[in-house]
Amino acid sequence: MRETDQKQGRGRTILGVLALLSILVGLAWGLILAPPDAYQGEVQRIMYLHIPTILIAYLSFFIVFVASCLYLWKRERRDDILAYSAAEIGILFTGLTIIEGSIWGKPTWGVWWTWDARLTLTAILFLIFTGYMILRSLIEDENRGAICGAVLGIIGFLDIPLIHMSVYWWRTLHQPPSILRPDKLPWENVHPSMLLALSINFLAFLLLYFYLLALRFRVGEMQDEVKKLKLYGGQ
Amino acid sequence: MGPWGFVFLAYGIVWSCLLLYLFSLKRRQRKAAAELLQLRSTSRGTD
Amino acid sequence: MELLRQAARLLWKDFLLELRRRESLVTMFFFGALLLFVFQFAFEISAERAAEMAPGLLWLAFLFTGTLGLTQLFQAERENHCLDALLLSPMDRASLYLAKVSFNLFLMLLVELVIFPLFWVLFNLTSWHLLPTLFFVAFLGTLGFCVLGTLFSAVTMRARAKELLLPLILFPLMIPVILATIRAMEIILRSGELGEGAAWLRLLLGFDVIFLTAGFLIFEWVIEA
Repeated sequence: MRETDQKQGRGRTILGVLALLSILVGLAWGLILAPPDAYQGEVQRIMYLHIPTILIAYLSFFIVFVASCLYLWKRERRDDILAYSAAEIGILFTGLTIIEGSIWGKPTWGVWWTWDARLTLTAILFLIFTGYMILRSLIEDENRGAICGAVLGIIGFLDIPLIHMSVYWWRTLHQPPSILRPDKLPWENVHPSMLLALSINFLAFLLLYFYLLALRFRVGEMQDEVKKLKLYGGQ
Repeated sequence: MGPWGFVFLAYGIVWSCLLLYLFSLKRRQRKAAAELLQLRSTSRGTD
Repeated sequence: MELLRQAARLLWKDFLLELRRRESLVTMFFFGALLLFVFQFAFEISAERAAEMAPGLLWLAFLFTGTLGLTQLFQAERENHCLDALLLSPMDRASLYLAKVSFNLFLMLLVELVIFPLFWVLFNLTSWHLLPTLFFVAFLGTLGFCVLGTLFSAVTMRARAKELLLPLILFPLMIPVILATIRAMEIILRSGELGEGAAWLRLLLGFDVIFLTAGFLIFEWVIEA
């Protein structure tokens, strides 16, 4: 067992190094090499953070969903560890997305917050992740916590398309036309070199995400083993 | 605050949060490894 | 079907209990009415704004009242190890789910049946003829609330701070229902008929069907945990 631990550790380190390298390349492209936006100027560079983090937040929720389904089906500890690890990192990325969105909004629209569809949806995702984390922390029994968490993970994921539909309808029906539509996707008129910067940054964040997830998973496994040893003593 | 101010504010917050999280993970890993080492050695001792 | 018969039997038990002790229904009803008073003190609802604010305020009242009902939902089963007894019997767990959804739905609909006209009286609304349509929309929304609410009432049943935890988890998931019911009711009150609100009702119906099915399938794992 010690050998697989070492191999996994080495794999994680490689992943971490790759992530670091692509992050540096991504920063170079995002901050220097990509041109500033014709309308928004330099502030548009926040997009190279914003789009990757929100996509990864949704990816994380998807992983919570898959892990939850697997756990309810097979009841293997590692699926539960994967679920709450993905939830923990997911809530981090969602929170960061909201902060970036807010900072981007201030110079662009003049306000720190607006109830447009995308910001609202990100806030709702954050609330659901938060509910998951608080639920897990308030249920003392480990198995019950895993099952209840899995239920929330599954129902939450199934709800997301409905939440999206309802929030988008809410914001677009009877909406007076305006020149600055905050809910217009920022990547709709994207210059090719911006698209390249975006792709590099997305890859960088993706690698970082999987590195953090692998590390968090390992910590979860170790904490599980600590608990088991404390309860049952020897092998 | 000029445009670059907002850019650095956003980048600064994001990367410091991610770094802080990485450090907290590393710390948790070290703590768990130390606990495991201690628990495994004491359980072997009582065999 | 055996499932429905079991559910009906469990539902009947809850009816009888409620009839004898009357704790949930009376509390929920008075809490709902009390909220209407609080709204008046908070918002100073004038005659012109009453129709505009009615859907939102009514739904706030129903949400909080319904949550009260949900936290009590499994109370009877938790006392005297009733739940363990139920689980030991060869009963299908899904019938317990159906029974509890129906029971909470029943309680909430009774409360809504009174709160709707009460609101109309307190705030001098005249559109009484719209009440049946409005009530139908509220019914679909309440069904969605009970379907997910019952599931998560079971989920939070043995957690610490369950009365706080339940709304914290439930409300974000309820957003499609909240948006759909309130927007549909607004359209009805504004134009006198459903019209564009039909799209919202389809969303509501979709929500109800999807989560009734999901709850039906998942409940047994929750209750046995």
